[in-house]
Amino acid sequence: MSTVTVVHTKDRLSGVVQLVGRRPDDVPRRWWESLLVFLFFTGAYSWFGYWVVVDMHVVGFEALDRLNRALMVWHNEPAKLSAIGFDYPPLATLLIAPLAIFRGFVTSMAAVPVASAIFAGITMVALNTMMRRALIVGPLRYALLLALGANPLVLLYATTGTRHFVWIAFAVTALGSLFAWYVTADVRFIMLAGIAYAVAALAGYSSLTFFVLSAIMVGAILARLGADGTEVEGTVVGFAAPTAYVIALWTVLNLVLLLDPLAWITRSSDAASSGGLEVFSAVDLLRGTGELVLYGAPLAIVVLPALLFSGLARGNPFATWLGVLLAAAILTPALAVALRLTDSPMLMRNAVPILLIAVVGAIWLARSAEEGSTLVAGLVIVGLLISIPWTLEQMKTYRYQNLEAPFAAAITTGESQEGAETLSGDKVGIVSEQAMAEYIRNNVTRDNSILTDNAQTYAVMMLTGHPERFFDRVDKSDGPWKIAARNPAKYVDYMLISTSDNGDLLYKLYADAVAGNDAQLQIVYRTPRYVLVGVPKGYSPTATTTQIQNLQGSP
Amino acid sequence: MTTTQSSAQTRRHPRLTDGVDQDLRYLIPEGICRTFRVMPYAAVEGTVLVAAADADDNITAHVVAERIDRPVLLVRHTVNEIVSAIDAVYPPQETEVETPEARRARMQMAQMLTRSGLITDDQLQRAMLEYSRTGDPLGDILVSHEAISEDVLVAALSEMYQMQRVGLADFAPEMEVARRLPEPLAQAFQAIPVAATEDLVLLAVARPLDAEQAAEVEEALGAPFRQLLANRTELDQLIQRVHARHYAEVSTRLLMETRPEESAHIVVSGGQKAALVFTAIVVVVCLVIWPVETVIGLVALCSLLYLVVSIYKFRLTLRALGTHLETDVTDEEIAAVDERHLPVYTILVPLYKEAAIVPRLVRDINALDYPRTRLDVKLLCEEDDQETVDKIRSMDLPPHFHLVVVPDSQPKTKPKACNYGLQLATGDYCVIFDAEDRPDPDQLKKAVIAFGRVHQNVVCIQAKLNHFNQDQNLLTAWFANEYSMHFELILPAMGASESPIPLGGTSNHFITSKLRELGAWDPFNVTEDADLGIRLHREGYRTAMIDSTTLEEANSQVPNWIRQRSRWNKGYIQTWLVHMRRPFHLLSATGLRGFLSFNLTMGTAFVLLLNPIFWALTTLYVFTQAGFIQQLFPGIVFYVASALLFVGNFIFVYLSVAGSLQRGEFSLTRTALLSPLYWGLMSWAAWKGFIQLFTNPFYWEKTTHGLDDGSAGTS
Repeated sequence: MSTVTVVHTKDRLSGVVQLVGRRPDDVPRRWWESLLVFLFFTGAYSWFGYWVVVDMHVVGFEALDRLNRALMVWHNEPAKLSAIGFDYPPLATLLIAPLAIFRGFVTSMAAVPVASAIFAGITMVALNTMMRRALIVGPLRYALLLALGANPLVLLYATTGTRHFVWIAFAVTALGSLFAWYVTADVRFIMLAGIAYAVAALAGYSSLTFFVLSAIMVGAILARLGADGTEVEGTVVGFAAPTAYVIALWTVLNLVLLLDPLAWITRSSDAASSGGLEVFSAVDLLRGTGELVLYGAPLAIVVLPALLFSGLARGNPFATWLGVLLAAAILTPALAVALRLTDSPMLMRNAVPILLIAVVGAIWLARSAEEGSTLVAGLVIVGLLISIPWTLEQMKTYRYQNLEAPFAAAITTGESQEGAETLSGDKVGIVSEQAMAEYIRNNVTRDNSILTDNAQTYAVMMLTGHPERFFDRVDKSDGPWKIAARNPAKYVDYMLISTSDNGDLLYKLYADAVAGNDAQLQIVYRTPRYVLVGVPKGYSPTATTTQIQNLQGSP
Repeated sequence: MTTTQSSAQTRRHPRLTDGVDQDLRYLIPEGICRTFRVMPYAAVEGTVLVAAADADDNITAHVVAERIDRPVLLVRHTVNEIVSAIDAVYPPQETEVETPEARRARMQMAQMLTRSGLITDDQLQRAMLEYSRTGDPLGDILVSHEAISEDVLVAALSEMYQMQRVGLADFAPEMEVARRLPEPLAQAFQAIPVAATEDLVLLAVARPLDAEQAAEVEEALGAPFRQLLANRTELDQLIQRVHARHYAEVSTRLLMETRPEESAHIVVSGGQKAALVFTAIVVVVCLVIWPVETVIGLVALCSLLYLVVSIYKFRLTLRALGTHLETDVTDEEIAAVDERHLPVYTILVPLYKEAAIVPRLVRDINALDYPRTRLDVKLLCEEDDQETVDKIRSMDLPPHFHLVVVPDSQPKTKPKACNYGLQLATGDYCVIFDAEDRPDPDQLKKAVIAFGRVHQNVVCIQAKLNHFNQDQNLLTAWFANEYSMHFELILPAMGASESPIPLGGTSNHFITSKLRELGAWDPFNVTEDADLGIRLHREGYRTAMIDSTTLEEANSQVPNWIRQRSRWNKGYIQTWLVHMRRPFHLLSATGLRGFLSFNLTMGTAFVLLLNPIFWALTTLYVFTQAGFIQQLFPGIVFYVASALLFVGNFIFVYLSVAGSLQRGEFSLTRTALLSPLYWGLMSWAAWKGFIQLFTNPFYWEKTTHGLDDGSAGTS
């Protein structure tokens, strides 16, 4: 009787550390709970954000810029996908593009809070699912989410349309998937984490730090569990492939379109900056980092040592990794300054990812505490509640910030912040843009009839809801736009120009017109921040050759 | 360690009549207790006392010792004492307990073979153990394991039943006589008339007929008959020779004549031709009047098709990712299977110019965890493939292997051979394996258990396919990536959502009777498997998946791979054309979900045709920024195309990675990243198949197997 060895699937998988092709021992799916959490937080943040943005006039212009680009994706003539540009990570704009399908949603500014609320909602769903896997009971889960959701920093960035929650949502989702992978050993979660990090990478480049650390963690944990080299390599490749692909693709696109493969790093900047780059000593950075954590995410002060203790002293590798991740989140702002990778150093918004990772760490500590999980969760809730008034108070005075102070003032006084100044000296408010937009909407109907430098006047463009009426840099790229700028009468009827020299190239060319000193270019309508100038037929520019040449050399 | 008790010791130890220790009674399975007449009943100082009718029998002692991990003492008891103790522990089921006559016959057979030195104790022991599990005739078990030849068994049976034997190896039958017994009876009873006088027919039989069978045969023959014992293999070959014309006719024409609207013998129906011509005229006219707009429309249509197919596949994959949508069968359930109740299982193996693979095939089929006495393996060879036929004959295989020689006629396709084999199938279930297939050993048992568990409308269970030579080169690794995605993610999701499943080429297990009802495979369709999956869905039947894998040989050479893949793509389009002859009938038969699923699944073949066009346009645009290309992709069309280029392509790459991870094939994730190059090959093959659909629609592109180890053959 002959016997043969056929490699059975079971034999092939016998040495595999992870769970493959089997149902994992996991918490049951509760899509309805996830949906309710999402709807609650998205709805609450949208509603609150509408009040903050529309009534209190606390609005970041970066959000308006991205919404204007989203409008151009659908409503420019012709529609322009390239409007997403290279200034922001592409998905920061693309993911909110659906909000701009209907112009009214954007011009009413209702889309502004929704643009961040959706992603804050996703973040809360990911945290809730993590807590379910940590076996934290329902009432404590919801209490923790509410305590976190009511944190004033979280509120500010979840309600004012900023892009930070876009990448944070996917980074936290990736962390949640890795959390699930560690708990269940199910290889599926590695794939989901990989995809989530890929989206996060194109929504915010900061997430790449967490991605790299996660890739190292996946390999290290597998190796520690006794996986062979093939399994470690295959899993890490599977995890890293999506992010590597999107970054490679984006680099190639930068190379093809901008002739600079790293433009996505060098050209990326924040629309709303702090007071500019200062000289920081090591002591300054250390103190800045300490203040950032103390004021913005005090929970991390407790969670970080607890994670490291649990990880190193109790042999809890996932706690170690979360500790490393939290430490990286804390050190990243200082490192960015030290490496001169930012023109907005030590901003308070950097505390948001620190706070969220600290919460993830706390959830893991609760799970690791087993019988003590309820106590740990309870302590976290108390900590988060205590930090609410503390952080709110610090937002009013913290030195490096965007709209923290006006936001804090708005929610403590209930008064509109129109005309108020940020700590860095910028004016808060949007009345000037709304007035100009309304005038254009009512008086200009011809497409491509207003020449404008959209890099400076995006807020007005967005509020008109009609990007097709503007001849901007996106329409036919920079070259033709500059030609039109030299001879506007041949192309347009008007020019929309900023009233301050903040980089508006038309302002540089037609400063006299902005000041009302050009006899040929009459101001049709003026607001404190913009002028709409009529361009008569046969107008011949008086700008000097040098100015034109300067214009051609401008970025 | 086993010892036998002396008569002095007998008096000191407890007896069966003192009762059976509750902790020991199930120590030995019922089958072994009854076969060897043993019963564990007490433990004394760490030694298990086992009552045995024949305490001196070495085989009994060995079998008992293998099952009890403590010292054992065989204690002589009477047969009656033991049988009543066994009956008390395992209450007998009338139909499952061996009759005294059968036991006598079995013992007689065993004695005859051992005393004449034809089998060893070891062979007898194994056969007895298998008998204890299955209850199948001891002689058949010995033959199936090649311990004795069929001729020896026939001689022994002839001796036992006092019947004459007849040799049929070189027998030239008189067809008129041989066909006096109708083919269904000849098949069912394995009997055939070999000679006849006016008042007596000599009937060659595989085994003596019982009274009921004999009456049926006599009525059919219209005359008395005398039985002659024959070698089963020779008898089977004779029946095939006698009825070859009938089998060939049915295998080619059954579907074509009973369900012509479902047969691919006409590729494009009259109505379809008219519709195609009309569409072509409209497009040409539009191109003349509105050239740019028409091209934009076509681009938009193609982009939309591409997008919808991509979304559909992505949705399916997401659904399957990490969850377990297959019908679950655990190892414990397989171990608990009562082999006495296992049905006969037919395995159809089409072979063409694959003589070199046959030894490996036989080895792998024999390695299946299924009683060989309940296997009905049909090795389906073409008449003109004398080399394979000779090879099989020369191996003198045991009778559970049946050589089936399909007469040479058109169309010479795998489905026709399978139809031919199906007519000879005796199994309740049947499955197709290719010659180079290596199924998981427990696959048949899993399928049997799964059939017992799924809904009644499930008539087909598809096992997963993958490759054993995935590490051979880049092409085989890509192929494995693709199969992992298809069988680990897409098909389970389709099965779970009750969508029509395009069956894989092999390892689809059917309820034989239902398969026959459906008209079996379409011999004119070059992807008969995919077509059958749709047909059974149209009839209200469903397909389920099991988590068992058959490893195949992945094509390792590009030209060979292109041939195989071009046939698949041609077949997909052929299948789409056949089922879309009457779209509304299809819609009403499958429902909207089934209809959409079918079209989107078959749409993959069209997407592969589109790929090179879009790639060429993209490349041309990147390098030339040509205005006319920009003109072809206005607004939303551009967005769809961009999404497909950047997101769609990535998703498909990642699904290849995900499929391999899901399967635990970690070494393949790297190659999955390069799969866009593989898509290039797929598109090449798709165009070849598409062109061939018009030039040579029924041509079966042969695939060479055995390239992994040099034993190349073609199928």
